[in-house]
Amino acid sequence: MKAPKAKPSGQDRKITWKEIKRQKVLLFWSAVFVLYGFIFCYLPLGGWLMAFQNYKPKDGIFHSAFVGLDKFEQLFSDMTFLRVIRNTLAMGVINLVSTFVMAIVFAILLNEVRSRIGKKSVQTISYLPHFLSWIIVTGILHDALSSSGIINELLLKFGILDQPLNFFAHPRYFWWIVAFANVWKETGWNAIIYLAAITAIDPSLYEAASIDGAGRWAKIRNITLPGIKPTIMILLLMNVGNVLNAGFEVQYLLGNGLVKSVSETIDIYVLKWGISQGDYALGTAAGIFKSVVSIVLILVANQLAKRAGEERLF
Amino acid sequence: MALMTAAVLGASALAGCGGGSDGTTAAADPGKGGSAEGGIREYTAFFAVPGSEINDDNEVQQIIAEKTGAKVKETWLTGQTAAEAIGTMIAGGEYPDFIDGSDGTAQLYEAGALIALDDYLDDYPNIKEFYTDAEWDSLRQDDGHIYWIPQFGNIWEKDMSAEHNDEAFWIQTRVLKWAGYPEIKTLDQYFDLIESYNEANPTMEDGTANIPYTILCEDWRYFCLENAPQFLDGYPNDGSVIVDPDTLTVIDYNTTPTAKLYFGKLNEEFQKGIVDPESFTQTYDEYIAKLSTGRVLGMVDQYWDFTSARDSIIAQGLDTQGCSYVPLPITISEDVKNQWHTGGGSGTLNISNGIGISVSCQDVEGALQFLNDLLDPEIRVLRSWGVEGVDYEVGDDGLFYRTQEMRDKVVDTAYKASHLCTYSYFPTYTGMSADGINAASPAEQPKEFLDSLKADVRECLEAYGCSTYVDMLGNNEVPGPWYPMYSHSNNMTTATPGGTAWTKMGEIKHEYLPKIVMAPDFDAAWEEYMQVYSECKPEDFLSEMQAELDRRMQVAEESAKTEASE
Repeated sequence: MKAPKAKPSGQDRKITWKEIKRQKVLLFWSAVFVLYGFIFCYLPLGGWLMAFQNYKPKDGIFHSAFVGLDKFEQLFSDMTFLRVIRNTLAMGVINLVSTFVMAIVFAILLNEVRSRIGKKSVQTISYLPHFLSWIIVTGILHDALSSSGIINELLLKFGILDQPLNFFAHPRYFWWIVAFANVWKETGWNAIIYLAAITAIDPSLYEAASIDGAGRWAKIRNITLPGIKPTIMILLLMNVGNVLNAGFEVQYLLGNGLVKSVSETIDIYVLKWGISQGDYALGTAAGIFKSVVSIVLILVANQLAKRAGEERLF
Repeated sequence: MALMTAAVLGASALAGCGGGSDGTTAAADPGKGGSAEGGIREYTAFFAVPGSEINDDNEVQQIIAEKTGAKVKETWLTGQTAAEAIGTMIAGGEYPDFIDGSDGTAQLYEAGALIALDDYLDDYPNIKEFYTDAEWDSLRQDDGHIYWIPQFGNIWEKDMSAEHNDEAFWIQTRVLKWAGYPEIKTLDQYFDLIESYNEANPTMEDGTANIPYTILCEDWRYFCLENAPQFLDGYPNDGSVIVDPDTLTVIDYNTTPTAKLYFGKLNEEFQKGIVDPESFTQTYDEYIAKLSTGRVLGMVDQYWDFTSARDSIIAQGLDTQGCSYVPLPITISEDVKNQWHTGGGSGTLNISNGIGISVSCQDVEGALQFLNDLLDPEIRVLRSWGVEGVDYEVGDDGLFYRTQEMRDKVVDTAYKASHLCTYSYFPTYTGMSADGINAASPAEQPKEFLDSLKADVRECLEAYGCSTYVDMLGNNEVPGPWYPMYSHSNNMTTATPGGTAWTKMGEIKHEYLPKIVMAPDFDAAWEEYMQVYSECKPEDFLSEMQAELDRRMQVAEESAKTEASE
């Protein structure tokens, strides 16, 4: 526990007109960004009013009747919504852990590759899937995992299965298929930031370690990992806030009637009730719930990081 | 970001409308003739059903534009459900000029997105005479106005339908031929035939394995799995309930003994490997691709739902192997008379949706004028037959006919996009043309229908002593003035307990019907399904449907009385 207490000395300085004048360009530009943030991030929050109304598009926000917390009550008495929260959390956590760990492992492994050409080409190839849209990725998955797809053919050929397995017909596989898709698509891309952090580590540390007789494994454990720890912490914190953004496209595109009970996320629920069924109020209420939980998650994670004396967001 | 996009969209929409209305003032004002004197008015249309877009320089569209002074850029549903697409439009508040919301029509009405049409109707004779006064009245919403015009179900003079453009158990002609064209009337006979055929001929001619029976189950198209029990019990397609014509009560077809028998049969066939194991996970595109290969021996579907697969089978010459589909009059037992084909099929007025004009339309008169012009006899022929000398010839007796070359062209997707323009979701007549000689479309022209039949289908029809697809099933009168009840359930929303129950029932059925078909222990799975199903409170839904049935019967009685007194 060694929380840094010392404040930067600059904060005690008085703000003078001279100072303001000197920084007028900076101030002007920051005002622009504040305005941007206000218009595009805070003004739309006015739409949250819908969650407390019996919102009808014909009447608009200003003429719809207020119903208090009715919509939230309806939301939480709906068994489907509780199941949807479970799905979102489960897939969010599985995705977070798997993509996070894979990216770090991949970056470290890649860093150990000696051949420059090999390293560069593997890196390029591995981050290309990031640029594919989900509709294409799900198309590939659907083909690969279908009864006559490549995965089933391999499994049959090696005698692991005696008849094709329809992966999308069984709820128990769904979360893992989604996790696999995420890992496949994002590992290369996510590793870039860690590779950059590793590059910033002072090479003399590695030299010194070599002289001391450290092997590759010891160098990874004692130099590389501690070197990128601040990056890991910051990214982890940011990703924790994103846990509830477990995805929309993948689940929406891969889901079907049979796996509905595990595939629907909050976002799909919002689409279904808010847009398809025209119950904008209920959709907004679900959206608000998601935002609030996300904020709480970020605050808690940040606090934990602070306690542990680690790098943190704020 | 969203605001910016909205602003950009708004700007482009304004620009579009500006262009449209400029043209209009010139063309529409003088005498509403809609002649092409002052440039061509352009409108946009969105139909919340799947369809194929035609090319911008489509030839027939251009001819119609020159004759009527207007053209419409049509867009269709892609990748979303109707409700999602319409919901997104409502959230954005921008609409195309013409819109058919399909299942999202009630939402459009509630959002105030449609313009009331009743004040305009008298000015447009073709539209006005499209329906009788009683029919127009049945289209009035609870505020007393008419907002949309159902495009279909309007028969000119007499029903000519030769195709069964509806739901059925379909089977490939090669299966029937192999068995010597037996009488197939029940569900058991149907599956027995498919089983024994598949045992004797497990592959197609090129060695591809057959898929004996597949079920399309994606999203709203799961009717291919879900609603067969009503037909099996010998009732017509009321869609969401059975109506007992004697007692005038609604019956839930999901819980009937027949439903259990039907799903039990599917379960049995699934365990035997007859039902395609990918049935419940395939997408619509995968399903169509599968049908197009000619591998699938049979399925339940609506005729219009697999049009592209049918075209593709013909284009590949698979009909020579007997891969064309014909419908069979399947019921649960031989003593039940089927009603798969009702009232000419197309003779049913579905009041739940239709084409409307949105509040975003800058030129309502012009748009209605175009609707009116499209019903002009000359334009009707252009829409359904094409161009004389190119798409059809006229015989000495005035009868239209096509050469084989012309017939081959019209199943070609590229040709359809570049040349033909049916404006299929604008109001249209079936039956006869205005000339009293020809049918409204080639598919309804008896001689043309016969001549264009593929050899395998013709042989099959002849073997059963039939001359049309409809004869395979037999025709039925519309059962009563309430028909069809789905026009009410389609427009239910979660605002009422019945609508909420209806939504939940749909959700549960989507999830459990595939489960019970795949379950190793059918009876246990069925018990569980019935348990969760009853938790959706289907009784709420049924009582609202009963109320609507009573209301419709009352309206019908009243209008019968006024007619009698007049």
